[in-house]
Amino acid sequence: MATEEESTVREPLDLIRLSLDERIYVKLRSDRELRGKLHAYDQHLNMILGDVEEVITTVEIDDETYEEIVRTTRRTVPFLFVRGDGVILVSPPLRTA
Amino acid sequence: MLFFSYFKELVGKEVTVELKNDLAIRGILHSVDQYLNIKLENTRVVDQDKYPHMLSVRNCFIRGSVVRYVQLPPDGVDIDILHDATRREARGGG
Amino acid sequence: MDPTSKYSMGFVFIGTETISVITNDGRHIVGILKGFDQATNIILDESHERVYSTKNRGYFDCHSTFSVFKLIILVFWIAVDSNSGIQIRSVVGELDEELDANLDLSKLRAHPLKPVIH
Repeated sequence: MATEEESTVREPLDLIRLSLDERIYVKLRSDRELRGKLHAYDQHLNMILGDVEEVITTVEIDDETYEEIVRTTRRTVPFLFVRGDGVILVSPPLRTA
Repeated sequence: MLFFSYFKELVGKEVTVELKNDLAIRGILHSVDQYLNIKLENTRVVDQDKYPHMLSVRNCFIRGSVVRYVQLPPDGVDIDILHDATRREARGGG
Repeated sequence: MDPTSKYSMGFVFIGTETISVITNDGRHIVGILKGFDQATNIILDESHERVYSTKNRGYFDCHSTFSVFKLIILVFWIAVDSNSGIQIRSVVGELDEELDANLDLSKLRAHPLKPVIH
């Protein structure tokens, strides 16, 4: 039973509160991205995510052609605590109005 | 305080702490404080061939600010309790 | 018990315990713990830095039997980087001296640790 108080977005963190138990996208420092179900967070954006997929993007320069080679590595983690100081942005799941 | 309380409940369980210098250390969670500093026991570095620097270290203190992730044991995550604690924290913390 | 309490850290025998420290800028320093505070500032005695490389030389040991003050000078001399002190530690570990004695450091090859990027 969500009262009006609980379902409105008054401040930025409310958007994250409404994403609890939903799959979110998190962009982190050092070219890392996470997708996972949000189980817990606090005001520092420390989080616990479940069924997490992490994507790390690395750019290498080819020794001969000097072309940029973009590589992505993926892995999955069942449950992950994420320290908030690495968080750049959090995006809630797409909702149909 | 949510995560401080959470990690205190996790003491005695095995976790993998991934640091911002890409080092990953696995060990038994011995203790945690309000800064989320962590002490691990029976530690081993996940990729020992690449990181032999801590071969003779069996327990260690990790400064909270250098932690990137902590991989949690599935039996150490009670989703309902976490949801309730998070909502309570969101209300109380403003 | 919090991790910085000396009993919880296991550093009950301050003055005799050899510890291994990884700093935020990626250096690895081993020495005898003489003291620490809540901010994990640390004073080491008879400390040395372990400098890693994948080259033939592998590893070299910069011995210093000085206290932390002289070590800082030594470290600056090695790294020629006056901006990075050693105030901020990332990992502090208690060294198992028996295990450490069995390590053949002359055969050890490793990339230097990356600095911590916040």
